[in-house]
This record gives sequence, C-alpha cells and structure tokens, in this order.
Amino acid sequence: MREVAPGLVFLGWLGRTIWSAWAGAAGLCCLTAAWQAGHEFYGSFILPSPLEALEALAALIREPTFAEAAKETAKRSAAGFVLAVGFGTIAGAIAGYSFAAMRLMRPIITVVLGVPPIAWIVLALVWFGSTGGSAIMTVVVAGLPISFAGGLEGVVTRDRALDAMARSFGASAWMRFRTVTAPHLVSYLFPAWTTTAGTAWKVTVMAELLSNSGGIGGELATARALFDIPRVMALIVAVVACVLATEYLLIHPLRDWLGRWREAGLPWGVKR
Amino acid sequence: MKLRLQAIGHAFLGRQVFEKIDLSIDSGQVIALVGPSGCGKTTLLQIAAGLIEPSQGRLHRKYRRHAVVFQEPRLLPWMTARDNIAYGLRSVGVEKELRAKAVERRAAEVGLNARDLDKYPAELSGGMRQRVAVARGLAVDPDIVFFDEPFAAVDVGLKRVLQDLVIEAAARDHFSALFVTHDLAEAVRVAHRLVALSGNGEGFATDRSIDGTPGTRTDREVFDIVETWSRDPAFHELFDGAREHAS
Repeated sequence: MREVAPGLVFLGWLGRTIWSAWAGAAGLCCLTAAWQAGHEFYGSFILPSPLEALEALAALIREPTFAEAAKETAKRSAAGFVLAVGFGTIAGAIAGYSFAAMRLMRPIITVVLGVPPIAWIVLALVWFGSTGGSAIMTVVVAGLPISFAGGLEGVVTRDRALDAMARSFGASAWMRFRTVTAPHLVSYLFPAWTTTAGTAWKVTVMAELLSNSGGIGGELATARALFDIPRVMALIVAVVACVLATEYLLIHPLRDWLGRWREAGLPWGVKR
Repeated sequence: MKLRLQAIGHAFLGRQVFEKIDLSIDSGQVIALVGPSGCGKTTLLQIAAGLIEPSQGRLHRKYRRHAVVFQEPRLLPWMTARDNIAYGLRSVGVEKELRAKAVERRAAEVGLNARDLDKYPAELSGGMRQRVAVARGLAVDPDIVFFDEPFAAVDVGLKRVLQDLVIEAAARDHFSALFVTHDLAEAVRVAHRLVALSGNGEGFATDRSIDGTPGTRTDREVFDIVETWSRDPAFHELFDGAREHAS
C-alpha cells in the first residue's frame, strides 16, 4: 500500500493544503469587509475602498517600473533573510553546544535586540548611503536574534539519550548532528524563519522608504508625496501578498515535508 | 575473552559509586548483572560500552563492534523503523544495498512485519519499538551486546517473547553479552553466568555460573534456582533492600 504512495501522498497533501485555504480566505474576507466599512465611513481620500485599491494594483502590475521595483525589493529581502537566518542559526547552534560561546553571545544579542530598527536604518544610511546595502543590513540586524534564539534553544534541548545511542554505535559528530540534532533543531527554527521572512519584506520596504533607494519602498515614498492614496493601498496589498506567498509557497511546504514524521504519530481524524 | 574490566571505579561529583571492579566476559558468554537499585549497574554498563569514562581502572577490548540496547527503545522519531534498524550500519559506513538486506533479515528475526518497516516509531506499539531497538543492535553483527534492563517496561507475556528472542540470537550469532536487570528470574533465564553488584560500593556480592544453558532451562528449573537464591545471603540486598524501602 505504501509502495505506491509518494505521488498520492503529495496529491493528498496538496488537496488538504488548498482545502485549508478556505478558512484563510474567510478570514481575509472579514478583513476586507471591515476595510469597506471604514471606507464608507471616512471616504475615498482617507481610506480608498478595496475595489479602488485592487484597480490601482491592476494598473500598478502593468507598469514595467513596478516589476523592476518589486524585483529589487525581493532581492534585498531575500539577501537579508538568507544572511540573517544563516548567521543567526549557525551562531545559535554554536552557542547551544558551547557554554562559553553562549555566555559571550547572549549579551551581544540582547544589545542588538535592544537597539530599535529605526536607529539601525540611520546608521546604515551613514555607512552604505542610498543603496540596497542599508536595507539588507537592517533586515539582518532585525532578523538575526530570532534565528539565534531558535538555534540556541534547539541545540540545548536536543535529546541527549538519543545522542548517547548514536555514540554507542560509533556515529561521527557530523552524523550525530545530521540525524539526531538537526531534525529536532528544525522544529525550533521554523517559527524563527517564518517570522524572519515576514520581517524581511517589511523592514526592506521601510528601509527603502527612508533611504530613498528605490524598490517598493521608493514607490511608496513617491505615492505618498503625490497623495495617491489608492496607489499606497495597492502597494501595501502587494507587499502583504509577497509576505503571504513567501510563507505559504516556500516555508510551509518545506516545514510540512520535513515534519512528515510528526504527522505520522497523530491519530486519524486529528490530522490537520 | 572479549572484554576485561580491570579495577574499574567510578565517582559522580565526588561520590564514589563503586570501586575495584574486575570482570571479564568470555566469547559467547552472556553475563547477567543484577543488584539493588542505585548500586551503579547502568553506570558499569555504560563504562563497559565506552559511553562514559571511568574515574579509575582500565578496559581491555578484544572485539570489533558492540551494540547497546537501552531500557527505552531510543529510536529516532523522524526515521522509519527501517532506517532506525539500519542506523548502526549507516554509522559504520555500510553500503545501502547491504544495509537493506541486513535490515530485512534482522527485522524478520525479531518478528517484525515487512509492512511495519515503513512506519515511524510513533505508529508502532511499545513492544514493536523495543523489537526495532533489538534489531538495530543485532544488525551491526556485534561481537558483544550490552543490554540495559531492555525489557523492564514491557508486560510479562511480551517480556518472555523478547527474552527468548535474545537467547535465540545469542545462541545463533555467538555474541557475548552483558545483561543488566533487576529481575533475578530474567537473569536466570537468559544468562550463563550471574554477577551481583553490592549496594555499598564494595564490588560484587557474588559471581556464579548458572546451571544449564540459556534456552534449555525449564520454567520449573528457573523457578527453583530463583527460590533457592532468594534465601542466599549473597542476594539479601536484592530482596531485603526492596523491603526496607517499602516499609
């Protein structure tokens, strides 16, 4: 029965995922209704209706400059995400294995967390000027502590009994990391990665707006200057769509694939 | 001789658990290690298996590979039963095809269905998980197996089945074994020789061979040996200790 499974298992997973999107769509519809109510109360200038925003979005997507700007923002937030997650996770894992490293790094992370992101943007502007560098740096600084904490917790709470089992079979340190620690670590890292992915988009747009370095943030600055409120709303919707796409098309499928074993333990009917 | 422990002693944070332990395990010999709880049976096993370094003494190993079967199955929850059984082979770098063959054979030996091999540990019953753990140990073709109260948590009927499985495997594959247990009847069933660790850290209270060979003793014989030994002063700690704690 399980021999033919891979394709069917994938189809089943896809079906369940799409089906569960109904609940998400219902939630979004409630939000849109509230938005419409707000629009009817305050009028188009303060809050354009969802329909106006969608029309503006449709117009926006047809502009070739928007595609350029979106690509730029995507590149910056992806670079920031990769650097933040990479360095944060590695540093966190090292701190988890070594008490000395943990003692040294924890205060640094606390300090980094304590500095408001807006202050980093000011510093980054001085260091990198009006380039993508300042956006990337701000994303790294904002996202790194979360991955650090996830990596640290994951390694610290690894199952030492399983580690002893692996040692009893003469498994190398690398194999023990891959087979015993890493799968456990992943469950601590995914929440951190999801948060960082969302933060990456938002912080990139913010940094772009403040440093006037193009991208969606740059577009947003222009739209604000022109008081083109439907365009502002359209840009916001575009950013939110990007965040959602990253989360549901990239991170969730990866998490589900790595967490297949977790689902196996659930009784029938509780699954999802 | 496969393994010799020479003047082994161990202390946890300055508290001496035991000292001057001498024990040698011969080829093909199954030694049961009993003793009152907290006397350091598991510690001694972990030292013998190289999982912890003894504070004093030396170990002489004359074998290629060992395996440990723990009290809990200690299966990797993110791997199927098949991959769990193959774990020891993978860590010594055995090729994939050979691993697959060994897994099939060992799984059949411990009474696992081929169907269950693709299940994750969470989908298996407690008894099946312990079977997987035993198969994982046997899969590496060990010269010596360390059993750390492996069947303490399974019910009586299943315990017998699993004991028989170990007896059968030991006779077939001629591995040596150190079998830690707190159950004298289990010790008498599975082992050739029995050593009892004393509770006060003064080495072994007794070291004796058990009549007959494992697997050929009848229930009556096992019962009689246990009955006789329970009145033996050498084992009084094993039985009276429990009574003292209970009262």
